[in-house]
Amino acid sequence: MSKPCLLLVDDEERILRSLAMLFRAHYDVVATTDGVEALKVVRSRPVHVVVSDQRMPAITGVDLLRQIRDHSPRTMRILLTGYADLAAVEASVNDGEIFRFLEKPWDALKLQDAVAQAADIAHAEFAEPIRVAPPPEAIVAARVLVLDEDPSTAMLVRGLLPPSCAITIATTVEAALARLGEAEHAVILAELKHGSDDVIGALKLLKQANPHTLAIACSSLRDGRLLIDLINQGQVFRFLPKPLGRELLRRALTAALDRHAQLAHDPQRARRHAVEAPREVSLPSRVMDYFRRIRENARQKAAS
Amino acid sequence: MNASMSSLPPVALAPAPPGDLAALIAPVPPLTPACTVQQAGERFLEPAVAGLLSLPIVERGRVLGCVTRHELMMRVYMQPYGRELHARRPVTALMNAAPLVIAVDSAIEAAGQLIGARIQSPITEDFVVTDAAGDYVGMGVVLDVLRALEARVGEHTRELESAYRRLKASQNQLIQSEKLASLGQLVAGLAHEINTPLGYVQNNVEMVRNHLPAAAETLAAYAGVLDAAGGDDATAAQSAQRLDDALAAFDPALCGDLASLLDDTLHGVHQIADLVASLKDYSRIDQARSENVDLHGLIESALRIGGHLLRRRDVQVRRQFGEIAPVTCAPAQINQVLLNLIGNAAQAIEHDRGIIAIRTQASGGYAMIAVQDNGKGIPPDVLPRIFEPFFTTKPVGQGTGLGLSICQQIVQAHGGRIAATSTPGVGTRFVVALPVAGRSGARA
Ligand SMILES: Nc1ncnc2c1ncn2[C@@H]1O[C@H](COP(=O)(O)OP(=O)(O)OP(=O)(O)O)[C@@H](O)[C@H]1O
Ligand SMILES: [Mg+2]
Repeated sequence: MSKPCLLLVDDEERILRSLAMLFRAHYDVVATTDGVEALKVVRSRPVHVVVSDQRMPAITGVDLLRQIRDHSPRTMRILLTGYADLAAVEASVNDGEIFRFLEKPWDALKLQDAVAQAADIAHAEFAEPIRVAPPPEAIVAARVLVLDEDPSTAMLVRGLLPPSCAITIATTVEAALARLGEAEHAVILAELKHGSDDVIGALKLLKQANPHTLAIACSSLRDGRLLIDLINQGQVFRFLPKPLGRELLRRALTAALDRHAQLAHDPQRARRHAVEAPREVSLPSRVMDYFRRIRENARQKAAS
Repeated sequence: MNASMSSLPPVALAPAPPGDLAALIAPVPPLTPACTVQQAGERFLEPAVAGLLSLPIVERGRVLGCVTRHELMMRVYMQPYGRELHARRPVTALMNAAPLVIAVDSAIEAAGQLIGARIQSPITEDFVVTDAAGDYVGMGVVLDVLRALEARVGEHTRELESAYRRLKASQNQLIQSEKLASLGQLVAGLAHEINTPLGYVQNNVEMVRNHLPAAAETLAAYAGVLDAAGGDDATAAQSAQRLDDALAAFDPALCGDLASLLDDTLHGVHQIADLVASLKDYSRIDQARSENVDLHGLIESALRIGGHLLRRRDVQVRRQFGEIAPVTCAPAQINQVLLNLIGNAAQAIEHDRGIIAIRTQASGGYAMIAVQDNGKGIPPDVLPRIFEPFFTTKPVGQGTGLGLSICQQIVQAHGGRIAATSTPGVGTRFVVALPVAGRSGARA
């Protein structure tokens, strides 16, 4: 097996030299300070993983990663940034659909882990033929769970989805988990600020238990730090600020249902949504039982 | 008629409450055309109408006219034989057939205008109030209206004053929040500027650290080979093997790489030290004004802090510094002015031959700083507006439009001036003039 290809993009050459040195033993490293050059590289050869800076003179990292995704969807994308401003974090979720959001100065082991994991996933995908899009009927029969104390959210979702989509409403994390244990859901839309419940911890564990379910987080809380955790440990699919805009929500739901149908059609791709082990999550044992059930359901489904 | 009258409420003499005309009306029973002058005179003596200057004459609701106290006095009571001549005549003979009539639903201000157009000095007449159909409703006292108007103007003035105070307060808040926002931008910029070198410095040091044991082992293996040179074959073979193993783990060619990693590391450490030094200048924010501030130092520190703005487009900075005396100013504020100007200039440059020229010179007690760019310029119809708060041509979310208005406030607070000239497509120049001695030469 040849070395996987790692593309490094940063406007500071010293960063490139340092990273190249760190990775060159195990990867075929290509480094550039130029976004246009980076795009040329992904078009001309398989690139397994790209690690890009966010603030660069000609293009932002998020923009570059979005373009790389369009040219080479199997390339795994990691953002490595010196300052996590909220706009960049939000865009990296919603537009860049990135695998990890990491910060400078980086922890070498953690970065190497993330790159290795990404390279494994991409390697497996490059080895397979690209599958055709899933049949559209998979989308219309999906289940969506809405976790929000505010009933208007579920009403908004109801108005946006075809009648054939089932909507499950829960107002507490525990109720949500119970319902998720009963039936496979395609998408969960969760409000992050949720009384005393640890919605964020639950989302992270949920993603570990069942990587097929896509999470859309929404909140009036706008906290970059929390979102970074949600990307790395929760692989949150979209983040929407509250109050929810109809059009944004509609687009997020459609994209999530599409992606879920693809994952069902092509289970390999679920690996792309693999998560870091969450730092610490404290949940009562009853809740942990729900997780066990969700995981078993997901396993059975994968086996069948 | 008299009997029914005494039960009527008295004319409002107290200062009229502010409100519409309806509140000021005294529903005085009118005189009839059949009344005599004598009877009218008696009516004027009743306490209930003591505040009224005129009485209406009404027939079946229609106002025929008014008779005034003044007219009665002058034509009847003060004239020789006046009483004898006039007392028995109908009151209509003395009436003004075109009195001031105002509709009951008029606003006080409108009534005031009508009165103002008719008013004579001295005021001899009050006015008649009619309903929508033109029927008599009551009498209004001119003085009451004037008092009500005065009260209302007072009220408006107070409202204006408090609105002004609120505006002022919210403007201060805005300035405060702009300071916070620019502090946020500063932190974001600095975090990025520091974390980038910190990233490779930390990584390089770790890598060098990790290679050191292998390098040490290689050296030891070489020494072993030297030592074994005089020994037996077995020892020589053993030490050669050890060297082979060591070389597999650490190729001496790596030393070149490690040395360049350490060069980078030193560079990064210096860069961080520079940034921290600039930050120290910048953080003299509470230290209000100080004397003997070196403007060139401030310019350099603003350039360092705004470095990321310039690098975005690879903008070249040209310094043409003249001889300027140290200035009395608030360094952190002047720094903010410079940062805003440099930021705007960098944002205006949309090509990759960007140049920002910063010139300084002394002129008649002023230190002048010019910041000139070769960016897209400002159209002549926009130029007069750029110092307005919230005026921005940048997309929503990208510009607050407060940058230049803050600059202007700061410069003016220093007793200085700021001005801009621009040629679209060629570039823009901002000039800041600061009095060397500080505001009015006084220590602030
Ligand atoms: N150097 C310049 N070249 C061209 N246009 C400029 C320049 N400086 C200012 N302007 C114009 O003046 C406007 C007002 O500038 P100001 O600094 O007050 O706000 P802003 O830059 O739009 O917003 P912010 O300062 O919050 O980023 C800008 O939107 C821009 O149109
Ligand atoms: Mg500006």
